[in-house]
Amino acid sequence: MTVASISFRGVTKRYAGAVVAVNHLDLEIYDKEFVVLLGPSGCGKSTTLNMIAGLEDITEGELRFDNVIVNAIPAHKRDVAMVFQSYALYPHKSVYENIAFGLRMRRVDRAEIDRRILDAASKLAISHLLQRRPSQLSGGQRQRVALGRAMVRQPAVFLMDEPLSNLDAALRISMRAEIKLLHTAMQTTFIYVTHDQAEALTLADRIVVMSDGVIQQIGSADEIYERPRNIFVASFLGNPQINYLHGTIDAVNGTPLFQCRELRIPLPPTAASYVGREVVLGIRPEDVSPHYDPPGVLSISGKVESVLPVGSDRFLGLRVEDRTIFVRVGKESHYREGERVTLGLTPERLHLFDAKTGVTLRGGGA
Amino acid sequence: MSAQARFSRTALLAISSILLLLYVLAPIAWLVSSSFQSEREIVSKPPHWLPQEPTIGNFAAIFTSHERSVTYETRRATDPASGGFVPSTAKNLLPSLRNSFIVACTVVVLNLLIGLPAGYAVAKIRFRGRQASIYAILATRVIPDIALVVPFFLFIRNLGLLDTLASLIVTYLAITVPFSVFILINYFESLPDELDKAARVDGCSRWQTMTKIFLPLVTPSIVAVILFAFLVSWNEFLLALMFTQTPQSQTLPIVIASFTSDFTISFSFINAAGVLAILPPVILALIFERYIVAGLTVGAVKG
Amino acid sequence: MTANILSPLRVQPARRFGYDERSALLFVLPLAVVLFAVAAFPIAYSFYISLFNLRLTRPNRISFVWFDNYVNVLSDPQFWEAVQRTVTFSVMAVVTTTVLGLLIALLLNEDFPGRRILSALLLIPWAIPSVANGLMWKWIYDSSHGALNGALFQLGFINSYMVWLGDASRTLALIANAFVWKEVPLATILLLIGMKAIPAELYAAAKVDGANAMRCFLHVTLPALGPSFALVIVYETMMAIRHFDLFFLLTEGGPGDASHVIAWHIYVETFRSLSFGTGAAMAYILALATLGLSYVVIRILGRRL
Repeated sequence: MTVASISFRGVTKRYAGAVVAVNHLDLEIYDKEFVVLLGPSGCGKSTTLNMIAGLEDITEGELRFDNVIVNAIPAHKRDVAMVFQSYALYPHKSVYENIAFGLRMRRVDRAEIDRRILDAASKLAISHLLQRRPSQLSGGQRQRVALGRAMVRQPAVFLMDEPLSNLDAALRISMRAEIKLLHTAMQTTFIYVTHDQAEALTLADRIVVMSDGVIQQIGSADEIYERPRNIFVASFLGNPQINYLHGTIDAVNGTPLFQCRELRIPLPPTAASYVGREVVLGIRPEDVSPHYDPPGVLSISGKVESVLPVGSDRFLGLRVEDRTIFVRVGKESHYREGERVTLGLTPERLHLFDAKTGVTLRGGGA
Repeated sequence: MSAQARFSRTALLAISSILLLLYVLAPIAWLVSSSFQSEREIVSKPPHWLPQEPTIGNFAAIFTSHERSVTYETRRATDPASGGFVPSTAKNLLPSLRNSFIVACTVVVLNLLIGLPAGYAVAKIRFRGRQASIYAILATRVIPDIALVVPFFLFIRNLGLLDTLASLIVTYLAITVPFSVFILINYFESLPDELDKAARVDGCSRWQTMTKIFLPLVTPSIVAVILFAFLVSWNEFLLALMFTQTPQSQTLPIVIASFTSDFTISFSFINAAGVLAILPPVILALIFERYIVAGLTVGAVKG
Repeated sequence: MTANILSPLRVQPARRFGYDERSALLFVLPLAVVLFAVAAFPIAYSFYISLFNLRLTRPNRISFVWFDNYVNVLSDPQFWEAVQRTVTFSVMAVVTTTVLGLLIALLLNEDFPGRRILSALLLIPWAIPSVANGLMWKWIYDSSHGALNGALFQLGFINSYMVWLGDASRTLALIANAFVWKEVPLATILLLIGMKAIPAELYAAAKVDGANAMRCFLHVTLPALGPSFALVIVYETMMAIRHFDLFFLLTEGGPGDASHVIAWHIYVETFRSLSFGTGAAMAYILALATLGLSYVVIRILGRRL
C-alpha cells in the first residue's frame, strides 16, 4: 500500500461516559511529510495517532488513506509502523527476532528479512546487539531497536509516539537529528507525537497544535511560532514562555495604544479597530532589546526583581505593573536587582490577544 | 545485633522451624510409616513409630488386588491381624486412579482453553460487556459447592449422565474456571498494553497477538492454573460422591472413602491407599511451588 | 486484589461490531457459556427447586409451595442446632487457622537457611486430598491403635487408651484440628504476601522511634495486615461453614448429633431423606448466610485496621 495522503474528516473519538478525546478533527497529511502532533497531556494527540494505526476505533467521521475509507480496517491489516514511548520490545525474543517479527507476519521471504535487518542494524549501529535480549540493552539501545523494527517494515506511514521521552537530555537531542536524517533517507510520511515544543520545532515540516481534542493551529514551525493563532499556541511554543500583560486598548489622538495601569505602549494603526477591547499583550522574552530612543519609541520599564544566568543566556525577572515578566538580555550585561530598567520593544513582534476568546487580533503580530 | 541477641534469634528460629516441621510432617510421616507395616505390626500398643518389619505387601495388594477375587469364604478365612485381608473394593483403586487422572487432565486443559482467550480479551481489549464479564466472574466465585449439588444432580440425572466422567468434568469446571480466569486476567493485566499494540501493528490478528506474544509471557500464571485446576479436580470429594455410583466413574477419593467406612478393612492397606492418593498432588505441588505464589501474587502486590 | 482488575475502563459505544469487538466476544464466548451453564443456571434452578416440595421418594407428588420449604427449615430446631454446631466448629477452626498462620508467616518472613525448603514442605497439607486428610486423622484418632493414644500413653499423659472421635465432647475440636492442619498453609501464604508488602520504611521509622520487636509487631505489622486478615478470615470462614468432607469421613455426623453440622444436615436431607426441595432451600440459606457474613467481616476489619 503506498499511501499518498491521510485525511481525517470530522473524526470524533468518544469514550463511554462523555469523555471526548478527539473532537471533529479535520486534518490532511500529505505524502512524505514530517508532521508533528504537539500538545499537552490529554489533548488527543496520541489518540489521533492510534486511530491512524487502527489501534483505536473511530466513533464518528471518516479516516481515509488515499481517499479510501479505512475506519473498519483492523490494525494488523494497515501498512503502518510504530515506535512507542516505552519501545514495547518483545521481551522473550532476541533483538534480531524483534525486528524480524513484523516481516515474518507479513510473510516476507527469509533472505529479504535478513538483508533488511542487517542493513538497518548497521545504519543504527546495533549490529553487535542482534543476538541479545531486550533486558540486556540500555534505554538508548532499546530505542534504536524499536526504530529498526519500524524501519525494516518499509511502511507507507511511520508513526512515533513520544519515542524520545524516556531518554536522557543529551541522548534526546542527538536522536532528534538522527530521526530527521531517517526521514530524509526513507522518503516516507512521518507522523510524530510529542509534548516537547523544542522537538516539534526542530523536526517538523508542519506542526499540528492540539488542545482538548481540538486542533488549535496547523502550520510550519515559523508560522506557529511567529504567528500563533491564539493564546494557547503562543504559550505552548517558546521557552521560556511568552509573557502576558492584561489591559485594554485606548486611543490617544487617534493612535491606538495598549494600556495596563500606568503602562502605555503605542500600537500600529491597524490596532485601531480594537479600541475599547480588553486584551492581552504578549511579549516573548527574546523580543526586547537594550536600545531605545526616547519618546515615541516603544519601550517598557520595570524594576529588576531577579537576575537569572542560564549558561549561554541571561534572563531578568522584571516587575512591570502588577506582574513579573521575564526578558532575555545579553550575557555581558550588568543589571542588578532593584535597578530600574527600560528595554526597547519592536511593534512587529508584539502579540495581541482578545482577553475573552484568546484569539490573536490582527495588527498585533508581524 | 549483639552476639547474645543473635544467638537468641537463631535459637528461636531453630526451635520454631523444628516445631513447624513436626507439625507439617509428623502426621504424614505416620501415614507413610503405617503403610509399610504389616497388619500384625500396625496394631501394636504402643505403636511402632518406625516399622520394625517393613513390608511392601500393602502396596502390592493395591496393584494385584484385581487378580484376587475376594469371596465370602476367603473373607472369613482371612485373619485381619495376619495382614492378608484386602477389601473387595480394592480392585477399584487402580481404575479410580485412572478416572481421577482423566478427569483432572481434562479439566486442566479445558480451563486453559476457556481461560486464556478470556483472560487476554478482558485484560487487553476494550469491549462492551467487559465490565459485566468481570462482575460475573467475581459473583460466581462466592457460590458454595453445596448450592450447586442439588440442581446439578437433578439436571445430570435427567440427562442420564449420572455416573459418567463427563458429569464430573462439567461440574468441576464450575468450581475451577472462575478462579483460573481470575488468575489469568490479573496476570495479563500486569503485562504492558504497548506490547499488544506493537504486535497488532506488526501484523498480528488478536488471536496471533495472544498466542505469539502473550502466551510465552504468562507462563507462571498458566502453571498456577494447571496446578490449581489439577489439585481441585484430583481432591474433590462431595460432588464426586453425588455423581458417581459405580467403579466405572468413581474417582480416587471416593474409593478411598469407601475403605474408611468398612470396619473390617486392615488399616495398613488403607494407609497404603492413602499414600498413593497423596503422591501425585504432593509431587506436583513441590515441583511447582514457586509458581503458586507467583501466579497468585502478581495482581495482589501490584494492585 | 480487585482494584487491579477494575483499572480505568473505557468501553466504546461503537456503532457497529468492529473487528476488536468481534474478537473479544469470540474469545469470551466459551467463558460465558461455562459461567452460564455451570454457575448462573444452577443457581437459578436451585432457587426454583427450593420453591417446590420435591421429594425423590414421591416423584409424582410435586407441588409449588412458595416459601414453605424455607419456613419449615428455619423453624426446625434441628436446623438451628446444626447452625450452632457449625458456628462452634467455625470459630474454633478459623481462630486457630489464623493464629497459626500468623505465627508461621512470621517465621517464614525471616531469612534463614532452609526457609525455602520449609515453605515448600508447608504446601503438603494443602495439596493432599481431603479424603487422605480424613483417613489420616481417623487413623491417628483411632481409639484402639491410633497414634494420638500411643503418643500420649508413651509420654505418660494417659494411663490407658481413650476414645477420641467417639466422645461427643471432643468431636468438633478434633475435626477442627484436622481441618486446621490442612488449611494453615493457605492462610500462611496469604498472610505472608501481606507481610512482604509492608514497606521496610515503616519498620525503620518505628525502630528510630525506639520500638523493640514486640512493639514493631503490634504497631506496624498487625495494623498493616488488616486487609490480609480480612481476606483470610472471610475465606476460611466460608470454607469452615460449608465443610463437608471431614464430617463424612470421620464421624458421619456422630456420635449421636455431636458433629451434625449444616453441611451434613443438608447432605442428609438431600441424599438420605431425598427431600430435594428442602435440601435446596437449606443450601440457599447457607449461601446467603455465607455472603452476608463475608460482607460484615470485610466491613468491620476493613474499617478498623
